[in-house]
Amino acid sequence: MAYQLYRNTTLGNSLQESLDELIQSQQITPQLALQVLLQFDKAINSALAQRVRNRVNFRGSLNTYRFCDNVWTFVLNDVEFREVTELIKVDKVKIVACDGK
Amino acid sequence: MANSANTNTVPKLYRSVIEDVINDVRDIFLDDGVDEQVLMELKTLWENKLMQSRAVDGFHSEEQQLLLQVQQQHQPQQQQHHHHHHHQQTQPQQTVPQQAQTQQVLIPASQQATAPQVIVPDSKLIQHMNASNMSAAATAATLALPAGVTPVQQILTNSGQLLQVVRAANGAQYIIQPQQSVVLQQQVIPQMQPGGVQAPVIQQVLAPLPGGISPQTGVIIQPQQILFTGNKTQVIPTTVAAPTPAQAQITATGQQQPQAQPAQTQAPLVLQVDGTGDTSSEEDEDEEEDFDDDDDEEEDKEKDGAEDGQVEEEPLNSEDDVSDEEGQELFDTENVVVCQYDKIHRSKNKWKFHLKDGIMNLNGRDYIFSKAIGDAEW
Repeated sequence: MAYQLYRNTTLGNSLQESLDELIQSQQITPQLALQVLLQFDKAINSALAQRVRNRVNFRGSLNTYRFCDNVWTFVLNDVEFREVTELIKVDKVKIVACDGK
Repeated sequence: MANSANTNTVPKLYRSVIEDVINDVRDIFLDDGVDEQVLMELKTLWENKLMQSRAVDGFHSEEQQLLLQVQQQHQPQQQQHHHHHHHQQTQPQQTVPQQAQTQQVLIPASQQATAPQVIVPDSKLIQHMNASNMSAAATAATLALPAGVTPVQQILTNSGQLLQVVRAANGAQYIIQPQQSVVLQQQVIPQMQPGGVQAPVIQQVLAPLPGGISPQTGVIIQPQQILFTGNKTQVIPTTVAAPTPAQAQITATGQQQPQAQPAQTQAPLVLQVDGTGDTSSEEDEDEEEDFDDDDDEEEDKEKDGAEDGQVEEEPLNSEDDVSDEEGQELFDTENVVVCQYDKIHRSKNKWKFHLKDGIMNLNGRDYIFSKAIGDAEW
């Protein structure tokens, strides 16, 4: 069963919104929408695992940490994300991480 | 060049995920007895929302190219009034072979006999569409839509005409000439008189069911005014986010009333004369004198006493709360990284993160990584 973790991303949210619109107009059932989301979970999990091959480094200060139900949630401040090609700076970032094993 | 790595891979990955998902659910849709066009509509909605979010660069949309092709088709057809429009041939960004044919101007049967409406989407339109903020499934309330047509976008051209670009079931695109809403005719009307022409602007999207629809099915219409700012091409937003004067007035008055009420209840009307607001230490003489005075003066003095007591108190209490606002963590537009962890390590207050397979949204843009390593001090 793939993680539903990626539903709260741009890609996942736009899919959910689109499905909601179709449900509202009664073109699909909620059950069908759920099936689509489950399929999305599988697709995004496998795409990330197989089609992405890049590394990122980051550094910042840790504001809060939480470990609950095997999910880590961090809030970092003044973080720099560094990829080979570019540098991204943010004042605050929330990291939600599920167990990778 | 420096940014090319991420901006190239992210749209491609998203595209491939969309394709995979759509193809995988096609069977589920058919099993449920849902038509293929609903699937196409889902795909359109999904792509449009991704485009609107601007989290991904270079995310082309098929509608844009179709609109370009329609534009090129219409220019030779319409010769009546718009010679002065410079017909720039914008190059389609990508070829969409399967949809090159069947673009027609669809005139609904119930269209009123207005002067022949010329539809010449300006080339500016195309550029505007990139930045447009349209809901993908906007429905025309006043237009009689042919069966099975899903309206996609509403566009206002320079000449002040309301365009509707729709995508039909088979993927072809049509442009519907509007009927009554275009009292605007062909002359450029820079300013709309308030209370003059009020074209109903479509609010929320309920895509019509295929196979025969009542045009008014489940569509919310609010009479609004179409704003013309000079001669600028303007895209009519069909979402609630469009602020227009009429709407602003309606909502403003609605908001004023509930806001006024809490304001009133905040004024101190109940006085505390014991405990912290205790003024009895001032001796009873003052109170006895107060009784002789008018009620107004008495209330004023007591109010002052109570307020003074509160003012002294607030600084004391307000220092008790040390924690950060919880609102910080719940704030919506903050940068988010969604991923999986390989290893999280801590030594005293030094944390090390080993993460993988993540999608990041930083400063409004999307990034992806297969591995991420980080350090932080708590």
